[in-house]
Amino acid sequence: MRSRVLQPVKYAWEYLKEISGENAYDRYLAIHAATHPGKPPMGRGEFYRWRQDEKYNNPGSRCP
Amino acid sequence: MGNRLGRYAIWIGIALAGALCWGILALGRGETVNAGWMLFAAIASYAIAYRFYSRFIANRVLGVDDNRATPGERLDNGRDFEPMDRRILFGHHFAAIAGAGPLVGPVLAAQMGFLPGTIWIIVGVILAGAVQDMTILFFSMRRDGKTLGQMAREEIGPVGGAAALVAVLSIMIILLAVLALVVVNALADSPWGSFSIAMTLPIALLMGFYLRFLRPGRVLEVSAIGVGLLILAIIGGGWISESSGYAAAWTFSGVTIAFALIIYGFVASVLPVWVLLAPRDYLSTFMKIGTILLLAVGIAIVLPTMQMPRLTDFAYSATGGPVAPVGPLFPFVFITVACGALSGFHSLIASGTTPKLIQKESQVRMIGYGAMLMESFVAVMAMIAACVLDPGIYFAMNAPAAVVGGTAESAASAVSSLGFSVSPETLSQTASDVGESSIIARTGGAPTLAVGMAYIFSGVTAFLGGLEAFWYHFAIMFEALFILTTVDAGTRVGRFMLQDLMGNVYEPFRNASWLPGNLITSALIVAAWGYFLVVGVLDPLGGINQLFPLFGIANQLLAAVALTVATTILIKMGKLKYIWVTLVPLAWDAVVTLTASWQKIFHADPRIGFFAQRSAAQEALANGEPFTGTSSLAQTEQIITNATVDGILSIIFALAIIVVIVDAARVWVGLIFGSEEPEMHEAPYEPSEIESPPATVTAMASNRDA
Repeated sequence: MRSRVLQPVKYAWEYLKEISGENAYDRYLAIHAATHPGKPPMGRGEFYRWRQDEKYNNPGSRCP
Repeated sequence: MGNRLGRYAIWIGIALAGALCWGILALGRGETVNAGWMLFAAIASYAIAYRFYSRFIANRVLGVDDNRATPGERLDNGRDFEPMDRRILFGHHFAAIAGAGPLVGPVLAAQMGFLPGTIWIIVGVILAGAVQDMTILFFSMRRDGKTLGQMAREEIGPVGGAAALVAVLSIMIILLAVLALVVVNALADSPWGSFSIAMTLPIALLMGFYLRFLRPGRVLEVSAIGVGLLILAIIGGGWISESSGYAAAWTFSGVTIAFALIIYGFVASVLPVWVLLAPRDYLSTFMKIGTILLLAVGIAIVLPTMQMPRLTDFAYSATGGPVAPVGPLFPFVFITVACGALSGFHSLIASGTTPKLIQKESQVRMIGYGAMLMESFVAVMAMIAACVLDPGIYFAMNAPAAVVGGTAESAASAVSSLGFSVSPETLSQTASDVGESSIIARTGGAPTLAVGMAYIFSGVTAFLGGLEAFWYHFAIMFEALFILTTVDAGTRVGRFMLQDLMGNVYEPFRNASWLPGNLITSALIVAAWGYFLVVGVLDPLGGINQLFPLFGIANQLLAAVALTVATTILIKMGKLKYIWVTLVPLAWDAVVTLTASWQKIFHADPRIGFFAQRSAAQEALANGEPFTGTSSLAQTEQIITNATVDGILSIIFALAIIVVIVDAARVWVGLIFGSEEPEMHEAPYEPSEIESPPATVTAMASNRDA
């Protein structure tokens, strides 16, 4: 019963974490390990700084 | 046979229920209608359109193929290309397309009554807006995420491509000016609003620092802190407005706020993004989605009755109503509603960013068509929020100061001459209920929407004593916050475009981190929209009336470019028998946009035609009298200048749309009747290795690594 109530909450939490980019670093680590084995990956802070600059230096557009 | 009938029975039920809601909405006998009928008519229409029409477009017209790898899968680099879960991408895409447009447009269109605007919001999205978003998303995806401008150049030709580029840049300028003007109109002479919005700056600085240095990547916790501080800022604004000393210090005129916005826009564009732009982006996205959900829940709980009639007398008038943009129902309702039904801007998002993140081709249906249906639903809710107000209050707020004057008494008598009635006491009481000194001639749509939302929300929080003033400023804050984020981001996009353009002349401009280039291009973009903003604030006849039609026409013009590109590609794909899918909305859009342009250029009524206004003002000046609605000769000269600039812009926009369509028609004739083989620019076929989209939650993160 308890898990039934908690399921939507868990779903919403996972969704928020995924959409806000909180999981992006873990995914980066996985891709990095697969494509550049042996090279040390960026640290968490460095990764997010790099990601933010990357995003806004190639701006898409947005709607009014 | 029985099985098939069973499968369709539920859809027949939905169709009948939808038809019933539409019937009550359009033809009911009573004076007023409950908003619930509009809500359900919309939902039933969307459900049927999504189930049948979008499926038809995906399978028959576009021919989506889940065995074909998307650019997100083929070019996955964990940065701009990656196969993203469709639900996450839906959220990102919706957050990018949902802006102030669908909230403001329907409010202004409500002057004709709720029916014309609502019909266009729902029918328009099903047959035009969602079709445009979905087809452009698909075509850009097949071309590795090429932008609309690149596709126009490749598929139509250099002339059409160049016209599309000019259109995009000039539209951006007008758009930023109009949106900034909406904010100025909402904040002028409002200490509460000015204080809460000013507080978003230190909040954003704090968030930016936190995210950059203290806890990188913790977007959720920093956004929660930010939203909490925002609520405090709104409450603090209430204290400010009650203390006479602070209230006077935080009361600014429109011109002061306009210059503050211009300086702010320049600074935000020059500074690194993590200082202001990125944290504001998070804040406004969460506020936006949260408030939209809140509004949906509020309307569903309160089920308010709409006070606005189905059709007002202005719907039959050849010159329209008093609320800007002034003009007859056709074509002006269709360029006013804009974003909620058909928005050219979405084609910029549907090409470029989103297509690089799609996991499976068939998902263009959910992301392109589905997200646009949701945007249309936001527009329906905005229409409801405007129509629950007493029409007398609606017109007192939205008619320009030249019509309603400055006091509750003058507004009440002006409203009664428009055929509605409201007492001066009601107007003063409404203003004090929402914590403002006056609500007269608060044009631009945002304040009206905020009063409507405050009415709905305070119905939900009635057990706490209503909180109407808090909710009004919550709504103003939410609109201003995300309009300002659009202004920041739009200035930055314009700056990059201009740097790219000037890079052709002097190479270093291309380098985004070259400081002189950054300063010069930022200043040029800000000066361009700042000019229209200040002119709009100072315009004696109300800047919204001058600028909103230009904005609407420009947005629909961009939609025409997108639909032209889509039609061209459909012909090249050999889908000639299905081109009506994009050709019919294109034809309608072209007729609307060109008729509106024609009227803005040639209409004999000085309230509608720019050049008629110019000559009328010139005539007044020659006689040494101020022009109707102005109080001095200097203001009359100002009208002459504004009318000339706006008139010339209208001509440029109209010519651009004609050039694009004629150039494309040349290509179509060559393709259909000529012997030439159509040249396709699709990326080559590669088989997909991703399994069909998983359905469970836990797979949301893990399937991306597949």
